[in-house]
Amino acid sequence: MLMNNRNKITTVQATIFTSSYILASGILTLPRTVVAVVKTPDAWLSVLIGGCIAIVLGVIMVKLSQCYPGKTIYQYVNILIGNWAGKTYGILLVIYFVVLSAYEVRTLSDVTSYMILEGTPAWAISMPFIWIGYYLLQGWITSLARLFEIVFPISVAVFLLVILMSTKSFEMDNLRPFLGEGIQPVLKGLTKTVFAYIGFESMLFLVAYMEKPEKAVKSTIFGIGIPILFYVITMVAVIAALSIDGVVHRTWPTLDLIRSYEMKGLLFERFESFLLVIWSMQIFSTFCITYFVAFLGISQMFNIKTQKVLLGLLPFLFLISMTPRTIDEVFSLGDILGKSAIILFGFIPLPLLILAKWKGRVR
Amino acid sequence: MKSLDKEEQKSKKNGKETKQSPVFTGNFESDLKKVKDLLGENSDILFRKFRLNNTKLKAALFYLDGLSDKELIDKFLLSSLMKPFSETDKEQIKQDGLKDFLKNNVLSIGEIKESDEPEKAVIEILNGSAALIIESVPEVLVLGIKKPKTRDLQEPISEPLVRGPRIGFTENIKDNTAILRNQGQNEDLFFLKKSVGERAKKQTVIAYINGIANQDLVDEIVRRIDKIKIDFLPESGYIEQLIEDNFLSPFPQIQSTERPDRVMGALMEGRVAILLDGTPYVLIAPVTLSMLLQSPEDYYERWIPATLVRLLRFLAAFITLYGPSLYISFISFHPGLIPTKLAISIAGSREGVPFPTLLEAMLMEIAIEILREAGLRLPKPIGPAIGIVGGLIIGEAAVSAGIVSRIMVIVVALTAISSFAMPQYSLGTSLRILRFISMLAASIYGLYGVVLFTLLFLSHLVRLYSFGVPYISPWTPLRMKDLKDFIVRGPMFLMKSRPVLLQTKEPRRKG
Repeated sequence: MLMNNRNKITTVQATIFTSSYILASGILTLPRTVVAVVKTPDAWLSVLIGGCIAIVLGVIMVKLSQCYPGKTIYQYVNILIGNWAGKTYGILLVIYFVVLSAYEVRTLSDVTSYMILEGTPAWAISMPFIWIGYYLLQGWITSLARLFEIVFPISVAVFLLVILMSTKSFEMDNLRPFLGEGIQPVLKGLTKTVFAYIGFESMLFLVAYMEKPEKAVKSTIFGIGIPILFYVITMVAVIAALSIDGVVHRTWPTLDLIRSYEMKGLLFERFESFLLVIWSMQIFSTFCITYFVAFLGISQMFNIKTQKVLLGLLPFLFLISMTPRTIDEVFSLGDILGKSAIILFGFIPLPLLILAKWKGRVR
Repeated sequence: MKSLDKEEQKSKKNGKETKQSPVFTGNFESDLKKVKDLLGENSDILFRKFRLNNTKLKAALFYLDGLSDKELIDKFLLSSLMKPFSETDKEQIKQDGLKDFLKNNVLSIGEIKESDEPEKAVIEILNGSAALIIESVPEVLVLGIKKPKTRDLQEPISEPLVRGPRIGFTENIKDNTAILRNQGQNEDLFFLKKSVGERAKKQTVIAYINGIANQDLVDEIVRRIDKIKIDFLPESGYIEQLIEDNFLSPFPQIQSTERPDRVMGALMEGRVAILLDGTPYVLIAPVTLSMLLQSPEDYYERWIPATLVRLLRFLAAFITLYGPSLYISFISFHPGLIPTKLAISIAGSREGVPFPTLLEAMLMEIAIEILREAGLRLPKPIGPAIGIVGGLIIGEAAVSAGIVSRIMVIVVALTAISSFAMPQYSLGTSLRILRFISMLAASIYGLYGVVLFTLLFLSHLVRLYSFGVPYISPWTPLRMKDLKDFIVRGPMFLMKSRPVLLQTKEPRRKG
């Protein structure tokens, strides 16, 4: 038997893993949420700066994880801050990931039933989706990484194609003036744009499974860099085509951008279906990662057999995803998730890193 | 059951009894009886008694009618064994002893073994060797005079090429190993012999190139073959199914081929081949999905046309999987997504069709699957004719009767032809099966169903291994080095390394 590192992932895979995790529901709604706060055409700049902050946060996590090679956050946080505090943090993480996972499922079923499957009940849309995730996860982290490695390049290609074709409806005036009201609104937008990069926390777990953990910084930078590129392109394209007033009033501005043009003489004239296809695959990626990380947390903290945890989480995911009644409730759930992510991954890792370094020095 | 058990016990007892019976003694009559008792009353075993070279010593020759070379026995063996000894011979016999003299001076045969156990001698007889029992000699001489039944080397029927060797494997394992040897002198080409089968032993050979193939891989394959417990192996497909990684998967996890050049290419990459006596199909392991989409011809043609052909095959695989399901999802769920004119013309052609798209597609797909199966099973001269006539007539009649639309017929026909374009029959079959699943998914969820199907399909593929090699490599895990021979068949100067994931002992090719 050739043992091709069944439990380890390559550097490229780690990069794609992070990118897939970040790129999900955000890409359809991001222009609206950011423009609503920034209110100037410079919103894309805010996205760019937000991305750089995310990279810094990501690198902090990498450094933290590299202090404990081969261990995930669930395992080393106990050593670092004591059993009780560590367990509490771990449980908070698990709860966060379970809810985030369910949120992704809900977003998917909402958008799908709104866009292409009107009248299909939400449970019918989300159930097969969850089951396939369950099937994939039985193959452990390597299967996840491999699937993303296949799906992600296709997504990138289709996305760029679809966005580039929308250049027809660009009005460059919509992007001007550049920094007309100074840098202030851009900075205000950061409160929203850093949310968009939720997913950079993947490094808290990934480093433990990398073939070459020393390259984790590189894969974090690229892993967040690709989404930055995506987001900036999307922001520029959406604002250029729809203008900031147009963006604020649409629920899914990116989809509307794709819908706004037709290409004559091709096999397809409208391309929003392509966007939806790759988008649902990205949602699947994010869903699987959060599902995986949640179950990893439970099984590592409480030493339970992994298969049972995996199956046991399924009904919770489904039920939580069915809880919000309206789409507004879904969006506010997303807001809560974003805020808790900033607390869990924005503020906590840095003190942990300092503590780890200090402990290391004492030793 | 009870009677069976009893029989087993009996046979075990018998076995013990024969084991207890001593080895050959040199007493002619008792030796003869031992062999005869073991052989039973088989009509195809011939034995010939005679006096050895005009002396008083009795001798007997056992051989198998049909499998042993009768001409050799008549012309050379018996004649030299019955010719009187000369004086010098007799002196020599005194010096050497009778047995060694016969071996050295009389029997002009390359393969001679001695056996002192009746059981082993009998196995050799049944394999086609001749056994010579001589009075006063306590061993039996086993003479390798097997003349295997075989056919001429022919072009492999299931994998024809435009350019490439016209030779294919045969049913005889010795021919097959010889063909492989004949591909070029290579002292590192190792053949590991095994006999598999509990009731009827059959020879298998595990072939690999020492110094390239990973030893762990070879060991694993040997281990899995040793674990096979089965009465009889009719074909290498049995081995394939008994040693594969995942029996639930629709994908073939071991490649079977009739082409020696394909086997040789795989061996040179560091893979292992398994040959079985009695079948021209040789197994290659480990296998990846991309291998099943390749043909040896890709390497014989220049790289640009070869690459284009490969792209075409990937497209064909895509159409096989997704053709009907995309049609179903666009027509019955999202007609707004295709150009209006096309939508109208499709709707026009569907006018009067009483069934939903799924049923329409299923009808045609199943009809064409039946036609294909019928074409395969029919005698060769009428098979293709029936296929074409049946397809044309049924298609045309179904359209004019208004059961299916014209465009549906186009989609189904295109899908069927695409599935024929797979260079490996087994892969085409698995894609055909999956196509029905994707059609069902599309008919329930439309485009979203196609996405779900794709995710399920990919989830399965990424979890599948063939002997420790990820089935979907080199697509993922992505190894830049291996991409030169994936969708693109790179130019020859790039082909300098072996696939990374095979972990060969020597990753670079010589030269």
